[in-house]
Amino acid sequence: MNEKNLIDFRKIKQAILDEPIPMHMKNWFYALGVTPFILFIFQVLTGILLTIYYVPSPELAYKSVKYITEEVRLGFWIRGLHRWGSNLMVVAVFLHMVRVFFTRAYRRPRELNWIIGVLMFFITLGLCFTGYSLIYDQLSYWATTVGTNMIKEIPIFGSLFLHLLRGGEIVSVNTLTRFFNLHVIFLPTSLLMLIALHIILVRVHGVSQLEGIEDDEVYKFYPEHVYHGAIIALFLLTVMSALTVVLPPGIGEPADPNVTPLHIKPEWYFFAIYFVLKYVPLKLGITLMLIFLIIMTFWPFIDELLRKKFPQVKWHYILGSIVILLFLIFTVYETVSY
Amino acid sequence: MDKNELRTQKLLIGIFSILLTVVLVIVAGVEAKKSTETKPVIEVTGVNKRCVSCHTEKGIAVKAIDQWKESQHAIKNIGCIDCHKAEKGDFDAFYCPDSDILVGRHPTPKDCAECHQQQVEEFAQSKHAHQFWIIKNDDRSIFEPTITTRHGCEQCHNISIVWPDKSVGECDACHPKHTFSRAVARQPETCGECHIGPDHPHIEIYLESKHGNIFRAKEKQMNLNYASKDLKKIPIEVPTCATCHMDGNETQPSTHNVSARLAWESQAAWSYRTVWLQDKLGDWTIKRARMEAICKSCHAPEFVETYFLTADLVNLQYNELRRVFVYWVKKLNKNGLIKELEANGKKYSDVVLNGWDEEPEHLMYHAWHHEGRRFRHGAIMMGADYTQWHGIWELQNDLVELIRWAAEHGDPEAKQWVNSRHPSKFMPYPIYDIPGNAWGINPLANKVPFLYVNYDDYWDRVYQNVKYAYEKGLLSEKQWQLWLKRYNNKEHYLGTKYNADSVYNYYLQLNAIDTKAMNEQVVNMQLPGKPFYQPRPGVIAGPSEKVIKQQLGRKEEKYSPESGTK
Repeated sequence: MNEKNLIDFRKIKQAILDEPIPMHMKNWFYALGVTPFILFIFQVLTGILLTIYYVPSPELAYKSVKYITEEVRLGFWIRGLHRWGSNLMVVAVFLHMVRVFFTRAYRRPRELNWIIGVLMFFITLGLCFTGYSLIYDQLSYWATTVGTNMIKEIPIFGSLFLHLLRGGEIVSVNTLTRFFNLHVIFLPTSLLMLIALHIILVRVHGVSQLEGIEDDEVYKFYPEHVYHGAIIALFLLTVMSALTVVLPPGIGEPADPNVTPLHIKPEWYFFAIYFVLKYVPLKLGITLMLIFLIIMTFWPFIDELLRKKFPQVKWHYILGSIVILLFLIFTVYETVSY
Repeated sequence: MDKNELRTQKLLIGIFSILLTVVLVIVAGVEAKKSTETKPVIEVTGVNKRCVSCHTEKGIAVKAIDQWKESQHAIKNIGCIDCHKAEKGDFDAFYCPDSDILVGRHPTPKDCAECHQQQVEEFAQSKHAHQFWIIKNDDRSIFEPTITTRHGCEQCHNISIVWPDKSVGECDACHPKHTFSRAVARQPETCGECHIGPDHPHIEIYLESKHGNIFRAKEKQMNLNYASKDLKKIPIEVPTCATCHMDGNETQPSTHNVSARLAWESQAAWSYRTVWLQDKLGDWTIKRARMEAICKSCHAPEFVETYFLTADLVNLQYNELRRVFVYWVKKLNKNGLIKELEANGKKYSDVVLNGWDEEPEHLMYHAWHHEGRRFRHGAIMMGADYTQWHGIWELQNDLVELIRWAAEHGDPEAKQWVNSRHPSKFMPYPIYDIPGNAWGINPLANKVPFLYVNYDDYWDRVYQNVKYAYEKGLLSEKQWQLWLKRYNNKEHYLGTKYNADSVYNYYLQLNAIDTKAMNEQVVNMQLPGKPFYQPRPGVIAGPSEKVIKQQLGRKEEKYSPESGTK
């Protein structure tokens, strides 16, 4: 075996850069899968910068966030990028899921990748939730309290999970250090591994074609699709910077476990869940949520069964539209109500 | 998949992508904005909703609602009726017009105590709660019309209003209704609403002190709205009035009893160690220790103790001045030179406290109630100018005037004093002193004063006085030891053992240059134009004859009867 064959760069290049992309992907709406990934990279970079000053202790967490926001040079920008990055990441995941869902890209053989995607969606929300709790102001402290309270309602293991997360009866120093660990080590590492798996599976299966319409033409991953990604990255950086300038990240009163604010609410991506839990009995609400999660996770198989039984009904259009509309209505209602 | 199907799919993806992006980014933006807002969410519920809507509609006390919305009460959902509730028969109960809501017009400390019991109790045990006494006595009521007392004395002394429900006090004297703001209560000007003016210029003293000066420089960066928690660090870097007299620190609980940390009754005619509720609050040494514990949050212990010891000696010195005043007015009264006011066999003035119609009585009153207090309060609160020029200087002036008045009215002893040419005549009383001061060692300060230099037994006399005050319990054991420490090493503390003559000589030269310049420039100058008034007998200074003639001529021309008719 000569040296030339030891590492065949040409083959690697081919495998990575020459992946054939179907023509329909030139439409921007079909090319959003890379957006959450780009945002994830941004989050990692800005997150590392934030940990330079952030101190995960009840006495210093709030002060260090305040210090980052008000004193550190460009600290408000980095924190703004991180905050808006997290918000946009949730939106980007939604958009990617909308595309995948309505094009039924989860259909065989890509069911596993859908499940991995759903898992990544939960991890993204977990990252948002744990990240928000690290600010340790009144809003964040009590959002963490109500957020973790919900966990208690999970059947059988609820109390155990709650205790495991909080490290005690109330949100305290143990919760903060646990959440810090989850936010900077466990969840990002898990997400990174799942992203890798997700992309590998995409490559193994090939980029999905539209259902029933096989694109005649394909184009190579590099350069056009890579540039697509680069444009999205630059666009996102601009948007996040602009949002940071217009709506800079704020910080409220320091957390005070003895003073419960009049209105406690979680971050906006949980508004819809919060709405449901508020207006139906708690046990029923939790049960509904669990049912929804199970349906969502195993949708590719459920969809297949439904299609066999009712071949004429476009279940994914109906259910997808209802879920999105309800989600939007609940979210907007919670936003405007306080 | 047909083309229609594809179009539907694209349309759905497009619409939902745009909808999700736009709506969710706006939602995220709104939430981000809310997180930067410091204004809390206020919810008006129940009866309060009716109060707010009716008052808003009728335009009655609408500002009060806005103020309430700023309050912690509003945040904690404590509304109008929680404080304004009333029962039938309450002294201030009335039905709100056109409604069936019974409300109390004046929430009293009894109402506040439902939630703030500790604060109300502490207040009731403070001298703030005792101020009605002055209205009851009303020593000025014969000197000024009652209507002025209503808006004068009573407005401030109402802080201890005794309500028909027997509760005492006016919480909103400091916590303005309806915000009941802690920040406003801590603002020095809040105390200064009453603690101001010639009789107790506390706000002026504070603002002239280093404390007040730093406060003014930094007040914009300070948040006075903090909750003063027991055994927590004081969160501001310079004290306001409330910090020292009320706030807690690492060692002291916060208190609404402003008397809990005061060691003197220095508003009184004599300075004496307080015995106010000492069975509950401890004696004056315990009260002083509380105050010192607060001072020591920022200052070194020895500085604090020396500072207070010096201020205590000022208070004791005041008593010695007063003793001389009392001696003279009593003597003048006994000799029939001044008399008390009297009607129907009842006396309406007291020569040693509040006489009004004779000069010595006025001087006596001012020497206590105005300059006497300024002297003492300036000393205890770092108002140098009030200890000095508004204090002792005016006190001494009053004393000189009093003795001079006595001499003019034939008192032989006073005449002797007036005729005396001895420099010690201004010290007709024993004196207190302390070697040096709290701030440092100054080798130049103690070389000039007359008494130091001319009386070898100066410090022996002072020693006897301070020791006597200590033995009488007017100074503590610790203070006496601190005084002795300085006394036994007074050459060091007075700086007399150090030689800074070279520095002194340098400035002496500069002084000489200044004096020479002053003499050359202005002292020996005489203007060539004569003054208009020349006080020589028989000569009336005025315009020269020539000028008078010219002026008369012009007047005649102007007013001659012919000039008008020709």
